[in-house]
Amino acid sequence: MAQTINTRVTRTDARRKVTGTATYAADVMPAGMLHGSLVCSAIAVGTVSSIDTSAAEAEPGVVAVYTHETLPDYKTVKGFYAGGPGSASFWPMEGTEIRYAGQPVAYVVAETAAAARRGADLVDVTYEEGESRIHMTPEDSFVVGAGEDSDGMVLTKGDIQAGLDAAAQSVDMTFTTPFQHHNPMEMFSATAEWRGDRLTVWMPSQSVRTLRAGIAGAYGLPETSVRVISPFVGGAFGSKAGITPYTMLTIAAAKGVGAPVRLIVTRPQMFTVATFRPESEQKFRLAADANGKLTAFEHIEIAQTSQFDNVVNPGTHYTRAMYACPNIHTEQRLSRSDTNTGGFMRAPNEMQTFWGLESAMDELAWKLQMDPVELRRVNDTKTHPTAEVPFSSRSLMESYDAVANGFGWADRGRDIGSMTDGDWLVGYGCATATYPTNILASNARVRMQATGGAYVELAAHDVGTGTYTIMAQIAAARLGLPVKAVDVVMGEADMPVAPISGGSTTAASAGSAVHDACVKIGQQVAARVSGMSDGPLSGIDASRITLDDGVLRGPEGQSQSLQEALSMLPEGEIEMIGEFRHPALTDELIAATFNGGYGTAGPVTPEFAMFAFGAEMAEVRIHKYTHEIRVPRLHGAFAAGTWLNRKTAHSQLMGGMVWGIGSALHEVTEVDQPRGRFLNANIAEYLVPVNADVREVRVQMLEERDDYVNPLGVKGIGELGIVGTAAAIGNAVYHATGQRLTSLPIRMSDLLRS
Amino acid sequence: MKNFAYSRPARLDDATDAARQENTQIIAGGTTMVDLMKIGVLAPDALVDISGLSALEGYEVGTNRMRFGALAKMSTVADDQAVIDGFPALSQSLWKAASPQLRHAATLGGNILQRTRCPYFRDTAYKQCNKRNPGSGCAALDGGVTNLHAIFGGSEACVAMYPGDLAQTLVAFDAEVTLEGPGGTRTIPFDRLHVLPAESPEIETVLEPGEIVTEIAMPVVPAMINSMYLKARDRESYAFASASAAVGVEMDGDTVRDVRIGLGGVASVPWRATAAEDSLKGGPLTEETAREAGRIAFKDAEPLEGSAYKIPLGADVVAGALLTVKSRMGDQ
Repeated sequence: MAQTINTRVTRTDARRKVTGTATYAADVMPAGMLHGSLVCSAIAVGTVSSIDTSAAEAEPGVVAVYTHETLPDYKTVKGFYAGGPGSASFWPMEGTEIRYAGQPVAYVVAETAAAARRGADLVDVTYEEGESRIHMTPEDSFVVGAGEDSDGMVLTKGDIQAGLDAAAQSVDMTFTTPFQHHNPMEMFSATAEWRGDRLTVWMPSQSVRTLRAGIAGAYGLPETSVRVISPFVGGAFGSKAGITPYTMLTIAAAKGVGAPVRLIVTRPQMFTVATFRPESEQKFRLAADANGKLTAFEHIEIAQTSQFDNVVNPGTHYTRAMYACPNIHTEQRLSRSDTNTGGFMRAPNEMQTFWGLESAMDELAWKLQMDPVELRRVNDTKTHPTAEVPFSSRSLMESYDAVANGFGWADRGRDIGSMTDGDWLVGYGCATATYPTNILASNARVRMQATGGAYVELAAHDVGTGTYTIMAQIAAARLGLPVKAVDVVMGEADMPVAPISGGSTTAASAGSAVHDACVKIGQQVAARVSGMSDGPLSGIDASRITLDDGVLRGPEGQSQSLQEALSMLPEGEIEMIGEFRHPALTDELIAATFNGGYGTAGPVTPEFAMFAFGAEMAEVRIHKYTHEIRVPRLHGAFAAGTWLNRKTAHSQLMGGMVWGIGSALHEVTEVDQPRGRFLNANIAEYLVPVNADVREVRVQMLEERDDYVNPLGVKGIGELGIVGTAAAIGNAVYHATGQRLTSLPIRMSDLLRS
Repeated sequence: MKNFAYSRPARLDDATDAARQENTQIIAGGTTMVDLMKIGVLAPDALVDISGLSALEGYEVGTNRMRFGALAKMSTVADDQAVIDGFPALSQSLWKAASPQLRHAATLGGNILQRTRCPYFRDTAYKQCNKRNPGSGCAALDGGVTNLHAIFGGSEACVAMYPGDLAQTLVAFDAEVTLEGPGGTRTIPFDRLHVLPAESPEIETVLEPGEIVTEIAMPVVPAMINSMYLKARDRESYAFASASAAVGVEMDGDTVRDVRIGLGGVASVPWRATAAEDSLKGGPLTEETAREAGRIAFKDAEPLEGSAYKIPLGADVVAGALLTVKSRMGDQ
């Protein structure tokens, strides 16, 4: 049998996707379906004085126009940051209150999508406008909880001042990051169909179990009465995780009109009806002795949050894990402004914080007149600096050495501005990438048939990353089948529990459950055939029979293929439920996942700290006349335990790095402060890299073994690639120009202003 | 988008007749019109689709004159070898605009009439926009984001920037446009097509109701051969100019005989840097004179807080374009 793990396997759904036969949630059209359209608030803060729906109702094709006064049986759920499944704690259309620009204020249902949009344009809303402020004010920041609480929102180890006093060099710098929006290619949508008290919801989701639990809870229905279906997802990046108003409004509207309703959220509305990456400020004080050994490490993160939720994405928990230092102080702070509640966007704790940390490390290296790679080496550690447990595996410097070698790091000019090519100034920069290995409980059902096929079923999600393929690979490897003989079905809440597709957990956690089901199939079949009167494994102690690559083996070399053994069973097939319950998962965490919540353990357990690591190097060019900043080369080397699929993993890492180019040079949600609105809510003006911006991107995948994280030795990689990229690029800009730009994105106007 | 009447006349006079009706818009490639209708900025009662007027698709690159039918596609002209060889700035200003899909659909006539990308114009949730809603004010000037706004030609009523690329080349090379309307045919200099916002930013051109751009033409001059369009932007492709320059140079030995400089990404209308041209004529083209020309080009700029970077950027782009053209002449 060919090797199926740690090899390049083309996505099993590739053909379906490129030929348009993969059915996404919004492709489904239940009989009699009507179309929804949102009317969103033109003001940021205030109240709705009146809504005139008469023109919209008179529009041909319009079936209903719902407002806060007329929408029947509209239910809401608790927000995520208050412990619920919702994306935010404040729910629009429960009353007249407006708390952020672009909040839904009315919902139009019509016979066609065009009529629904026309109807929405004709709804006339009058507001009483209040004062608003959309940018946070860092000087008014606060810590969630009080002081040195148990979640480590404030943490002090040693004495920062003593560390600063003892230092040969220090840096004291503040970095900022802007609001950013996920902009997945697939629009947000929800389609709801009621049949009596039974409800079906089709929508692209990163967590079908969360959706089902939340919706069922809100309507007081048993979970068995609610189906949630999300077979394919066209990109999510954190934006399709929680339950948002557009879903609950669509469910209520479908009930109101007595017909299925589908809503597709428009691109500009996608900037306001769901979450985003909050803007942030990253304050660093780093100090080192003459050899580069850190003597003080202080990081204070101030992140924007809404008026009604505390969006704590604790980036300081990960920066303080990076480098050895006796004196560490970190604070996780928030500052409120008038927006919807932000949330997770690819590397939600890490992108912003490592832009700051790795830029500050670079500045420190220049001050020390030290190779920035060597500064990382001097401060590398095998022990988590504050949790004081060993890393389960940590290949940071192996990553640096691998990437430096391929990139030609040693050939760089040693001085600022020392490299040119024609009209271009050239600079090199490097930065650390890391991502925590988060762990969630998962189940999976695997059924194998004697005829040589297998079915894998679990409520996991393929958010475009290749999950269908890796689940098939994991089963194929153990069961000894070709990948194409394994049929994987996912994306329905009724399937065996699998975690949210977030925090880079699916491959590691859900994959481990698939693996466990296959192990159990081996054990069960072994027990059955060893008890038979004849056959190669007859009479052998079943507990000593192992399954590997589709072959059952006894302790003395007896063997039988799994398929043959199965054919001896009268059923001709076997089905087992696999379970992944890492020792770090407490009963409480397991219960949370099974109840549709987020029962995450790690990355720090009482025994180990679990992280994936990598290093990135960028070549930046800045044009003498146009001042354009371009990235002709971006290299990364990463170690993340076992690689399941070298092709999709490579794509994941490369995709993260490409997004990193965007976060460094392009991406920003502009803010109109006087009127409290996001300004460039479309993908013509919200710039992301195009092909021409992405030149040579090289990904090296290093071998690493980690027996602690899970039985497969897999760490999550969905978010690893974006972490550090912006700093590598910013550090290269500094090398080229001597300009230390501290705000993302770095644009030509910033080079000309400073 | 509200419902609208649609007609596709086969004859030019039928088109002008239809287009003169109240609240009627002309559509050709539709890349701007459909976009603005979808976002509710324009809501015409009727569209007159002129894409059936095939006589307007032709173009001719002659030895004395170049003429382009208004319905010639951007991509067709950009890729024409005679244009690439004889007038590189024209080809470059076309293919550096938009995306391949848009260039295949968009026409030259429509492109020169492209509307501003000012976000306050394009988002109808903003009450203040004198261009969209005359007399309502200007959100950009009322504390808004101004990094994409004009530093030339703006007024207290409007600082929206003209976003196109082709127009900078046309204005620099003395193009003319032919307009066909209910009152007959007229040909005007290209630099008189667009009007400054002044008190009435809702009026962007001198086009009368029913008038259709039918042709863009220009005399062939030696400076076309040594020309280029240099466009500075944060993203390598599919982005509007932060600053751009269409330049062409004719040398007589070491002396500049003729020079053309059009500026993009900086003005309310297509902008020609006449004073900078004058500073170079009759003298040498060196790093020093090119940089001085860039400074002169932006001497009278009136930046807002967000757009001040366009002055050093624009000056460097002008200098860079001039010096790049000069160095390529040396290679020949």
